[in-house]
Formats: sequence, C-alpha cells, structure tokens
Amino acid sequence: MDRRDFIKLSALTAGAAGLAGCGHPDHQLIRFLPEESWIPGVATWRPSLCPLCAAGCGVMARVMEGDAEVVRNGRTGLLRMGLVKKLEGNPAHPVNRGKLCARGQAAVQIVYHPDRIRQPLKRRGERGTGEFEPVDWDEALSTLAARLKQVLDDDPAGLAWLSRPLRGGKRVLVERFLATLAAPAPVYFELFDESVLRWANRLSFGREQMPTYTLSVANYVLGLSADFLGTWNSPVAQAIGYGEFRQGRPGRRGKFVQVEPRVSQTGANADEWIPIRPGTEGALALGLAHVLLNEARRPTTAAGTAGERIEGWLQGLPEWTPEAVAEQTGIEAERIRRLARELIAHEPAVVIAGGAALAQTNGLATALAVNALNALLGCVGALGPVRFTPQPESTGLAPPHRTLRALVQKILSRPESPVKLLLLYEANPVFATPPAWQVAAALDRVPFVVSFGSFLDDTSILADLVLPDHVFLESWMDDVPESGTEPAVVSLAAPAMRPLHNTRAMPDVLLDLSRRVGGRLNEALPWKSYEELLRARFDALARRAGADADAFWKQALERGGWWSDNGGTRAAAPRHAAATTRQIRYQPAEMDGSVEEFPFHFLPYASQAFYDGTTAHLPWLQELPDVLTTAMWGSWVELNPQTAERLGIRQGDLVDVTSRHGTLQAPVILSTGIAPDVVAMPVGQGHRAFTRYASRRGANPISVLAPLEEPETGALAWAATRVQIRRAGVGRLVLFSGGLSRFPHPEER
Amino acid sequence: MRWRRLVLRLFLAVATALLTLGLLLGWWDSAAMDTDGTRQASPVFTPERPSLGAAVRDFFGIQPEPERQPIAFTHKVHAENRIDCTSYCHTGAAVGPVAGIPGVKQCLICHRTIATDHPDVEKIATYEERDEDIPWQRVYGYPAPAHVKFQHAPHIRAGVNCSTCHGEVEQMTVAVRAVELNMGFCVDCHRQHKASVECIACHY
Amino acid sequence: MSRRWGMVVDLDRCTGCEACVVACRAENNVPTVGETEAARGRAIHWIRIERYWEGEFPNARIRFVPVLCQHCEAAPCEPVCPTYASYHTADGLNAQVYNRCIGTRYCANACPYTVRFFNFFHPVWEKPLHLQLNPEVSVREVGVMEKCTFCVQRIKAAELQAKAEARELRDGDVQPACAQACPADALLFGDLNDPDSRVAQLARSPRGSKLLEEVGTQPKITYLARLSWSGDGEDR
Repeated sequence: MDRRDFIKLSALTAGAAGLAGCGHPDHQLIRFLPEESWIPGVATWRPSLCPLCAAGCGVMARVMEGDAEVVRNGRTGLLRMGLVKKLEGNPAHPVNRGKLCARGQAAVQIVYHPDRIRQPLKRRGERGTGEFEPVDWDEALSTLAARLKQVLDDDPAGLAWLSRPLRGGKRVLVERFLATLAAPAPVYFELFDESVLRWANRLSFGREQMPTYTLSVANYVLGLSADFLGTWNSPVAQAIGYGEFRQGRPGRRGKFVQVEPRVSQTGANADEWIPIRPGTEGALALGLAHVLLNEARRPTTAAGTAGERIEGWLQGLPEWTPEAVAEQTGIEAERIRRLARELIAHEPAVVIAGGAALAQTNGLATALAVNALNALLGCVGALGPVRFTPQPESTGLAPPHRTLRALVQKILSRPESPVKLLLLYEANPVFATPPAWQVAAALDRVPFVVSFGSFLDDTSILADLVLPDHVFLESWMDDVPESGTEPAVVSLAAPAMRPLHNTRAMPDVLLDLSRRVGGRLNEALPWKSYEELLRARFDALARRAGADADAFWKQALERGGWWSDNGGTRAAAPRHAAATTRQIRYQPAEMDGSVEEFPFHFLPYASQAFYDGTTAHLPWLQELPDVLTTAMWGSWVELNPQTAERLGIRQGDLVDVTSRHGTLQAPVILSTGIAPDVVAMPVGQGHRAFTRYASRRGANPISVLAPLEEPETGALAWAATRVQIRRAGVGRLVLFSGGLSRFPHPEER
Repeated sequence: MRWRRLVLRLFLAVATALLTLGLLLGWWDSAAMDTDGTRQASPVFTPERPSLGAAVRDFFGIQPEPERQPIAFTHKVHAENRIDCTSYCHTGAAVGPVAGIPGVKQCLICHRTIATDHPDVEKIATYEERDEDIPWQRVYGYPAPAHVKFQHAPHIRAGVNCSTCHGEVEQMTVAVRAVELNMGFCVDCHRQHKASVECIACHY
Repeated sequence: MSRRWGMVVDLDRCTGCEACVVACRAENNVPTVGETEAARGRAIHWIRIERYWEGEFPNARIRFVPVLCQHCEAAPCEPVCPTYASYHTADGLNAQVYNRCIGTRYCANACPYTVRFFNFFHPVWEKPLHLQLNPEVSVREVGVMEKCTFCVQRIKAAELQAKAEARELRDGDVQPACAQACPADALLFGDLNDPDSRVAQLARSPRGSKLLEEVGTQPKITYLARLSWSGDGEDR
C-alpha cells in the first residue's frame, strides 16, 4: 500500500464513520411544545433584582432561547425556552446604575447549578445524612398543612419562622401569616447583621437604618475597618461614588485614609493605611472629636443629638486627649492630630465605620462616637456625604442575633422542644453562628423542620421536608433598598425566565398553605398569588403618588421598580423617636481569652467572593483569585511575616488556630498588611454540606468564635475572639500563578 | 529500504485499525447523541467529540447527510403558494443570526384549516396532542470546532438570495443540502462582494 | 478611516473588586478548571487583577493593576505563530483564531504579559451549567490557546446594528463585559482613531503610560497612574 492508497482508505473509512455517526430521531430526546416563541440567537433584556446581599441592586438579565432538559408530566425532554445568559446592572436603577459586583455577576450560576433541588423532598435517612426522596407537591403540601393544623390546634407558639431578614412584600406576607396564626414573630438571621449601626443611627439621628454614603460629594474619607468598596453596606453604589471621588471631578481628587488592623480590599486603595489595635476604632473617633472640639474650637452643640449621646461630649471629651487615645489605639498622638486637622481642611469629610469595628462588645459606643464625629463635621444631611434614603415603610427589625438566641434557648429550655414546626428560608445559622450558641443541637430537637431552600446546606440538611423555592430569576421579585440610593426605591421584577425545575415560589407556597389551613388566614391573606400581593402594594404606592395604577405598574415592571426621579419623595419617611435620652459611655472592647494564653487577635472578615458564605457553592467564585492573596478553592489564614518567623511558620504551612471554643486548620499566607498580633481569615468556606463545590472545603472561622455580644443589641461580636497558633504540618494553597514579576508601571505621579 | 517500508506499513495498519475502530465507536455512540453533539446521558457538557468517529469526521470536514425528516415537508408546494421564506417560517433570518425552523405552532397557524386531511398535516396535529414539537433534522450547519459565527440577517440585508447558499429550495420537496458550505464557498462570495475576508469576520 | 480599538485603565479608580473578572468569565464562556487543575497553574482568567505589595508593616502599600490582553501593535505573539492563528486585524485587535490554532503555545511564551491561556484538557460544564453558555462566543476545545478578545462578539454586534440602522458607530456603542461591569468606571473602551472619543481623550492624559512600554510591544491599553498623596494635604 502506498501513500495514495492510505489517503483513499482513510477517506473511505471516515466517510463511512460520517454516515454511521449521526443521530436518528428515534434516539433523540423528545421536544416539548414551547410556551413562548423566540427568535433564535436574538437576546432580550428583562429586569430582575440581585438577591445576594442587602444592597438590593437592580439587574438586567440577558435572555436567549435555548434547549433545556426538563421533566414535564413525567416525561423527560427538551424544551425550547428563554434562558438567562448574563446579568448586567440595570442602568436605570438608582442603587447600582448599570454596575454590578463580582458576586452579582456570578449570581446567574445559581439558576443552572447542578446541585439545585429539583423537586420537593422528604427525609428518608437519619437527620443530617442528606438522604432524601422525592415527593410530589400535593403530597408535600398536604403533609405540611396537616402538621401545621396539628401545631395550631395544640399551641400556635409551637410554630417558628427562621429566615434571612426579609423586606418588601415577603416580609409583609410572612409577618401577617404568622400574626394571623397567633404564632411568634419571625426570627431573622444573618451573620453580618447591622443592628448595631442601625440602633446607633436611631440614637444619634432618629433613623433606624443604614446610611447612604454619597462619596461623590466628599473630599476626604476616613474609613474605620469598613470594607465599603468590597462587601459592606451598598458596595456597588459606594464604588461608583468612589470613582467620582477620585477622578470624576477635574482638579479635585478626594483623599482617602483607612484605619484597620488588616489591609482589606478597601484599605488597599487608601492614600494612607494606618493599622489600629482591634476594637479601639471608637477611641480614635473620640480622640479626633477631642481635637476638633478643643484645638479647632468646634462648638460641642454642632453635633446635635449625636453629640449628646456621648458621655463627656458637652464637656469637650476631656479624657480623650490624643495622648490617651494613642495609648489605646497604637496610633501616635501626632498622627491623630494631623488626621483631625485634615478632616477639617478637606470638608466635606466623612468617617465610615463598619465591619469588625462594630462587631465588638463596644460596637454601639464606637458607632455612636463616629456618628457624633460625623455630625460635628457637618456631613450628615441632605447635601452631605451621609444621608438617609427615604423609606416608604418601617425598617426596624427586632435585633436578629438576639431573637435567634432566644429561639434556641426556648427550644433547649425544656426536655421536649416547645417548637414543633420550624419553617426555614434562606438562612444558614448552623454554619454562621459560634458553636456556643448550640443552633444545630436546638434545630435537631425540633420534631419537624421544613426548608424552602434551593440547596442543601449546613442547616437545611436537617430538614424533614424540602419545598424548593424558585431562584430569583424565576420569581416575582421586589425589594426596598435601605441605603445606597438618594431617592426612595421600591424595586420590582417579573420572572425573567420560566422555572427550570419542579419548584414553587415560597410566597405562593405560603398562600397555598393558607388556603389549605383556611379560617382567618383566608381573610388576612386574600391574594391568590404573590404577583397579586405585589400588585396590591404597587396600587397603594400609585395612590400615594397620585398616578394611574395600571400605568404605574407597567412602568415599574419595565424599569425594574419605582423610584422618585427628582431625588425627593412623597413617600412617608418615618423618623423614630429617640428611644432614650441617656448617655453612653465608651468602654474598651472585651475580648474572649487571655493575652497570655491566646496571644493573637482573631479577625474573620467578609470574603470578597463568598460574603458570609452564601455564595460558596458557585464555581466561578470558588475559582476567583482573592484580590489580595490570589488564593482560590480554599481557606487560608493571614499572618504577619515577623510573627510567622518567630513561630517557625512559613507560607503554605498548615496551622492550628485555637480559641477557647474550638480549633480549625488552614494554610498560612504571609501578609505585610496585618498587625503582628492579629490573624485574619475570610468567612465563607468550611461548609459541612453545600453542594459539590463547597462541601468540606476549607475551614470555617465562625466555628472557633466566642459568643460575646454587643450588650444593647445582642449582636454577635464576631471580631472579639483571641486565639493561639501552632504549626500543624504542610498545607495546600491554590494560588493563581499568572502575573508579572514586578510592578509593571513607571513610578506614580 | 526495507525497514522503512516495514515501519510505514505498521503505521498504516495501526492507523487503519484506529479509523475502523472510530467507525465502530461512531456507530455505537450514535444512539445517545444530543443535538449539540454531546452525549445526552452524560452529566457534563464538553466540546470533546463523543466518539473517535466524530473526531475523524470533523478532521476531514465531513458532514453527515441530513437524516430522514419526521415529516416529508415539501418546500415546493409552499413556495408555489407564495409563502415567503423569511416572513412566515424562517423568521429569524431577517432579524437575527439563526433562520430558525418552524415548530408545530407555526405550522398550525395555517394548517388548522388548510389541508387538514393530509396525512402529514395530521401528523402535525398528533405532535400537538402529544405536547411535542417536530424533531426536524438539521440540513445545514457548521461543526462546533470550525468556530464559525454565521449571521443570517446581515446577508439578507445585503441582498443575498436564499438560493445562493441553499440552492433552489422552492423546487425541492424535502430539503436537501444543495450547496456545500465550506470556507472556500464563503470566501469566494465575500471576495466578489468586497466583504471582509478577515479570519475574525467569521471565526471568533 | 479604520478603527483602532483600545482601552484606558484608570488605576486611580480601580478598587480591586474583581467584578470585571467574573463578568468576563460569564460573557466569554471561560471554563472553570477545578481545584486540582488550578493547583497545576491551569486556571484561565482573561482578565485578572494583579496586586503589588510594597513596604513592611506598618507601611505596607498595595497597588492593583487589572491585566488583560494589551492588543499590542507590535504583538510578540503574532510572528511566532506558525499557523497565523494569532494575527492582527485591520481595526487593531490581536485576534486568536481557534480553528487555526494547533496548540504550539509559542505565543504564550512570547507574551510578556502572560495573558494567554492554553486549554490543557477539554473543558467541562456540569449540566445544566452549560445552559448559561453565550451562543455568540465559541466554546474552545482542548489544544487551543485563548485570551481576551476585547469582546469581539460585542464589537461585531454593535457594528451590525449600526449598519442595519444605516449610521456610523458611536462612541460608547461597544462596551466589553469588564468595562460594563466596572462599578468605579476604571475601564473604558473605544476607538483610539477617533480623537473625540472618551478613550482617545483619556489616553492622552499626562497620567498615562503603557504596561512594560520598554519592551516595545506598543500596547493599545493605556494605564492612568494612581496618584499618591503625601499626607500634607497636597497632591503629588
């Protein structure tokens, strides 16, 4: 055979292969009749809302047709349907103005996650083993309705609701559902709860809500442990303002100083980064105020109520001389004086305290001190950098951490749990609470737990019945952003795509359940669907705005919500009466563990990719290199190189991090941006169960936290634990190797 | 030299064996192919060819002949009735990248009343009753590894006739591939009309 | 006059939030490789944020630099490609033609910015994650090189749209995914040949310079320097 023969032969064989290799219609999946007609390959844009943090950004979903494998009437087949391909920020939305953060960009993976719960499940194996079997919706709902009736007949106090803090229509629905049944008020939980700052704002300014920081009008920003460009408050809105603050105003570049024990993503952008002893941020604020009051002769009354809240304020804070403050904070007195002078020289100046600064036992006093300082700087109000978004309805919540602890204590207080039926929705307290709170033990004692979650996580794996919710892009969505916008906003969005799986929207399930239970619920919850409830809410809003209800609704659906265009609002903005007139005395932060035995301050922080861990199941975020360390797919502990050298620890070594409450293991990353007596660790990994991408990956810093709290709000002081460190072997770090060997840029100008 | 011929023969034998194997695998695998070329049963989507046969086909640029269509649709009759290609059936062509193939619903717009007793039209109604769409088989298309991003709309706007790329479809009963859409064909036309012949005009 | 696509990266605005990194992945079907392969250095990111640490505690200083393909005028990746898979287009894009690429990886070795990534294995999407894939962008297979395209699919779409509307492309019609996502507007894209475009104006800024200018690649991305502040209240 020669070459020519070979080529002939190959062509022949390949041709035969070609003929043989194509599919036959009989072997292909059936195609269901589509519900909508689509122009293939042409994108449409539909508004929706990002559900991943409290900022409440508006998104535009890019929808294109595609073939999804679905189950319909017991048959598996392909359905041509609209599929969301990409999320962009909604350009019209006042919070994020067309922009989105990394987590928001990744949110679309929630829809298509391979481990989404695809139909209702009931527990088959032992609790916590994750063994479930599918049930149909009708059976699941009858089971639940029967349980509910039984609990209500017995004692309505046996019903409990546990979820992340809700806003808008969902909050109305859930609270009315429980109130009508005479069941206890809902328990809301999230790890990074802001009740300390909200409460402080109520005491200082009569507004129990998070502030809106309008950085674009500021000339000087002093950050105190607040990661306001990454994870804190309304990060996208704040980053938009930051861009303007730096380069959006010709000839006027704002200055930014960040004070924190460890360089955060936000701190990395500061002109001046100043380390501070953890928990002493409030002392610094008082020291700065001292200089303003005494050396710059600002009148004490300039701070109004906010000043009156602070003990010693009206006397000019005599104890808080820069020298005294320097001793507490570790920042030189001269530097404190200079910072104070700069604040005055660059007005409008704003001080932003958040994150670990307020997650201390003295968090409230710190927040009040910062509020008073801001009030003294005159930056609070309609034209200053600190504003309060008008709220169309009440924002106050019972302090979440305290209410969760009360629920747990109630369950554990008696040999038999008084809570008989627990409804669980989008909260993962088993993961996100310190071990001493005993949340897992408590939930384990509740005879029947129902989860509405889309995924099995550390908490919902304990459920007896899982009634999976649609994910956000498949749902009617609404939200009332608390901050990050000047005009009042009520966001609204219709489903951007039909549900991929056999799931049902949680609000619709509650309404269905109400009809099954009947009685008073029928009158209290007259809506047939959540859509109807939202329509009723928007009709009320339209009446207040004096608009035609149909046009108002239609416009809101097109734009992604309602907001007052002129910046003002006619919506009622409730001001809270000052709850107390007493003064608060700043106390040093209490830390768990002695300095001798536990020499390091343990600083967990909200992770750029996973925030509080709720997005750890998304592969795009697992493979997102952390911007400061380049680490992916795991946990790490940040340690100062001098400390590491002293302890004989090198980069990548595995260490035991031990507190009085537990031990965890993680590899070390050396960082020159952390104080020698501090170790820091991102929150988010270390889930016992959370899909194939996050289960048993890395370690959970919350698992070693002490249960200290801020006494007035009961908020967990998650930055108040001391630890010891010991080398435990060789660890494994996955770092993103791409990179240039040196800063590839001429010197700064 | 003898040893060189020996090596060559050995190589040829192995290559032939592999190709035959590919043929067999290609046949064996065909039962489980998805429309996008991936295996239906597989829990993952990947650009990897499902079989050696498929890889061989791609390498030689061989496209399988279109499969027997589920309904013997005649373009001729519809064209004689002056039904425009892109106004009613292939509506995507004028506005988007993909022409699109009409489904049950579009067929039934007319065929609820027209020729309802024709066996093939009855078939359409049966599909509707079963809540199924018509599993049309692709006639044209590019293999994924060609990385071609063809767009219909700009070609229609530029006044290219459907028949330039699809032949005299109005004379066809069941559509057949009348034009081999290889790169030479595209580039010739692009050159004639001074359209871009940059790689990235189509491949990205 | 033909276009010359380019970008301006304002380092004084960039906050290192990495929205661009995820936006790029979502737009361009960039596969995730998983922990094991990532540990072998095979993770793919068309855009990344580099960080440079300087100084010791307590004077640590970090600078962020978003790095993506610089679409160099004198691109070192182009002459080394034996199959012309890496070539320069008329409107100034450094294109990567997947169907020509045979995977020699010469281009990746030649690139001083290390922004080219090789598919060492077939990428996989665990179903139904594949339903998110953008049909306007190729899914690359094993053995080909990939990198930032300046979202060429968006450029094409905007050009077609403008042509359909019988008008010229306007400044701002094309936004790559990274620039569209960037909250602080640190990334700006446009036509450098149009002297009135925002990108051309900013590229003339005295703060501007190119990455590794000295190696002579003539990149089409201009980096605007982050300003520093001495602490005495004055810009330096």
